[in-house]
Amino acid sequence: MVTDTTRDRAIALPPSTHEFRDIVHRLEAGGSMLPDNPENLKQIIGIYKAYAVPMDFYWRNLLYIAERVFLNPLPAFKYFLPKDYLELHNHYAGDDADLRVWRGDASAHPELLEFVRQGELQRKVPKLLHHLWHDRINMEFAESCMRAMLWHRHMYEPANKFDRYLDSEEYRANADLAIRAYFQGNPLMLGLYKLFPDMFLEQVRQLSYYSNLGLFWEVMAPVFFEMSDLYDEGKLASVPEAMQFLVDGIFAVAARPIYHHVYIRGDRYEIIPKSKGFMWLYEAALPYVEAIFYRTSPFRGTKSYNAQANQVPAEQKDFHYGILYADVFPIGTAGIPPTLLMQDMMHFLPQYLLDDYRKHCRGEDDILSQIGVTFQRSMYNVTSAVIQALRAALLYPLDDPNPRHLQANREFFEAQLDRFIRPEARLRNVQVQDYR
Amino acid sequence: MANIVEVAAAAGNFETLLAVVEAAGLTQTLAEEGPFTVFAPTDEAFAQLSPATVNTLLQNTPQLGRILLYHVVPGSLSRAELLEMKTLNSAEGSPIPVREGDGLEVKNATAIATDIAADNGTIHVIDRVILMG
Repeated sequence: MVTDTTRDRAIALPPSTHEFRDIVHRLEAGGSMLPDNPENLKQIIGIYKAYAVPMDFYWRNLLYIAERVFLNPLPAFKYFLPKDYLELHNHYAGDDADLRVWRGDASAHPELLEFVRQGELQRKVPKLLHHLWHDRINMEFAESCMRAMLWHRHMYEPANKFDRYLDSEEYRANADLAIRAYFQGNPLMLGLYKLFPDMFLEQVRQLSYYSNLGLFWEVMAPVFFEMSDLYDEGKLASVPEAMQFLVDGIFAVAARPIYHHVYIRGDRYEIIPKSKGFMWLYEAALPYVEAIFYRTSPFRGTKSYNAQANQVPAEQKDFHYGILYADVFPIGTAGIPPTLLMQDMMHFLPQYLLDDYRKHCRGEDDILSQIGVTFQRSMYNVTSAVIQALRAALLYPLDDPNPRHLQANREFFEAQLDRFIRPEARLRNVQVQDYR
Repeated sequence: MANIVEVAAAAGNFETLLAVVEAAGLTQTLAEEGPFTVFAPTDEAFAQLSPATVNTLLQNTPQLGRILLYHVVPGSLSRAELLEMKTLNSAEGSPIPVREGDGLEVKNATAIATDIAADNGTIHVIDRVILMG
């Protein structure tokens, strides 16, 4: 939709000739890649809410594994979140917040606590039985996101300094102290460590990414909760407003520290100290967006890994299997990882979305696919926020009077949209409402 | 002459910059070591940042220090020398592109005043806080 504001601003620059010129003009007018209409707003906000509740579990559990489970060789109970991690105060919610993003409480969301207690069964049975019955939050999804970040390391260098630090002597020494303390009095594991030090070190690097992703999502959960509350109060009325809330959120917390602390027998080991200056924006948010929204890894159920078939690119930078490209219709079938997340979100849908899904397609029968499409829309809006935030940070305001500056902004937007020209990209699909 | 911190203090429109440099514990470095080239954002440049951003930075001084070090380049470089180099290596480690546009352009900032000499370096005044990436 080309708005009047777009036309006013187009006076300064000739129209774009890009394939997605309408979207270029919309971005230049302060809009989102997702068209602005009430239906889209309802879908994205509803799904932010449904996403934030399992995310509230993900970040807590990721930090629990990074800080407490650590190198446990048989971590059979790593998804059994203890009380103190469910009560752990989110730094961006509650009365004692560093910066209060969500007006709600700092400990776990009430709907999450209810689900942990009762699950889908709606019955209070021991945690172990919920787990064995697979009546639980699919933490494997969070771990696969973490692993995607680990596998796609070194993307944002030199602005990102986390990855290079993981390979430094200083990191090795910090990890060594923690590994020795953790296995103190365990000659078998200490002997293995002596024989294969890098095997353990690589595990610690992975745990540092657990911490990284946990700290990233600790911010996003309250942001999404607050957006849902504002929408319910009638204070978020358009898609660009929803995007701008995300942009403001990105800037507000850009400098929160990214670190990895481990607690062993009451002592704290700083494997990555806060004093290294690692920041949420460069060390967590930007690598997350690239690794998860754009790249991830080919779904086992849609691509052949056969080296002769050449279906999977040789270069990691060419990976295009993130949510912005994913075919979400086979969700619920074998070999489609996002199914895990869609199932998690299904438990926490607001009533208005549930009513919508019942009215469309095959009602509740294909609800996971419908959730998948909604989620894809919402992530196009989040990606738009990231693109606008980068433009604001690295380039120029949208109303800059200098035409050269506006041209630089345009080239940036066009370069970002070039990534969606390939046929797998779903940018074209989310422009129309009958994609559901 | 005076050192970089004294020159900035005398100019009068770097109150925020001096306050955050102090908060990050970099005052002594900028006053006594060097030589440095400093791209100094004015008070108006800092005012473009949201209060929440500044608040988070002040709560986390290593992260604040890192942003500030991105505004510092080792060696005392004049405007003419900068334009010859095109890309600078900041003390933070990330590159800073410079070019001639409407005056000297430092990444997405424009220099308001250049070649202000201090004992231990050179100051160029810019109209925007610059960020890595």
